[in-house]
Amino acid sequence: MPLAGVQGAALPPPSLARRAPLLQVDRVLHALRRHASLMVISLIAVTAGFVAWQLRGAAAFMAALWHAWDLFLFIVPSLVAGLLLASALRQLLSPDALARWMGADSGVFGLFVATLVGTLSPGGPMAAFPLVLVLAGAGADRGALVAFILAWSLNGFQKLLVYEAPLLGLDFALLRTLITFPMPILAGWIARRVPITWEPPK
Amino acid sequence: MSGPQIFLWVIALAVLAVCMRRGMPQARRAAAETNRGFWRILPMFCVALPMAAFLSELVPADIATAWLGDDSGLNGIMIAALAGGVMPGGPFVTFPLAITFSKAGAGVAQMTALLTAWSVYAMHRILTWEYPVLGWRFVALRLASSFFLPVLAGLIMRALLPFFTINLAAP
Repeated sequence: MPLAGVQGAALPPPSLARRAPLLQVDRVLHALRRHASLMVISLIAVTAGFVAWQLRGAAAFMAALWHAWDLFLFIVPSLVAGLLLASALRQLLSPDALARWMGADSGVFGLFVATLVGTLSPGGPMAAFPLVLVLAGAGADRGALVAFILAWSLNGFQKLLVYEAPLLGLDFALLRTLITFPMPILAGWIARRVPITWEPPK
Repeated sequence: MSGPQIFLWVIALAVLAVCMRRGMPQARRAAAETNRGFWRILPMFCVALPMAAFLSELVPADIATAWLGDDSGLNGIMIAALAGGVMPGGPFVTFPLAITFSKAGAGVAQMTALLTAWSVYAMHRILTWEYPVLGWRFVALRLASSFFLPVLAGLIMRALLPFFTINLAAP
């Protein structure tokens, strides 16, 4: 699923490169995976549009399209700014340096750093999940990684500013974020105590 | 432009300025990435926004007030958490859909649970990214440490609501 400021998504994992005959299949699967949401959403959009036209008439259909266009014009300025911020931050941040603060002995402070990094990490899943591997390789422990990925998905500032604040209102977005901001720290603390070990896949 | 939008632009330009101080090639790379990202997301928007608008046209106003409204309490929060967990797609899909829910009468605490569940459970993201990249043990570890968060977030929001006036706004 493509999302803000994604890079390097077209590269298959290194483990696939060795299995040359499978590469074509992988490529097709990868393309399907990348466009799956687009196809599903298109299908729902066409179906819903058709039903809306049938039940509510052409005027309502056009009104809905007009509303979508309005929303589009409303989001695009934030979207471009969010993408720019994401790409510029990526040029500046070094995951290796950050991971040194997130080791198994880093305590709650390490979880806090991981939460902050996750909140500030821009971009979509194809940027965030590989970053988990990078952080793990650089020394972050499982609690910090759980905190990082949850902070990214729950409180990512890009999602907050580009979508949530414009669409649901700033008051709601801020209060919700205040409530969920400490949650990744809590989850990371629990993850360090859950008896499930995890090794980064080789 | 609204307040958050101006804020976002100010931060983005500030970070870009830091990039430029480090060197022009970095700033140019940032600009090129922005451009690529924009064209990658655009098709998504072109189908997701009409989809949400059509669905919102089809959803009768206040139909879900009894299930998800402000007075639906813990049950409503749990239903919202379930609904959020199975909502597909990225933020460009979810947030327009969330407007549909709020039109159907969902309360503020219930919307909080819905959005939190979408972030925490994210079935589609587990299947397409988390499991393939990080393996099922990581998925299990993360879910074991976070499955209760959506309901918790909804309950905290419900406890805080008397002290704030929150209107779920739609432009």
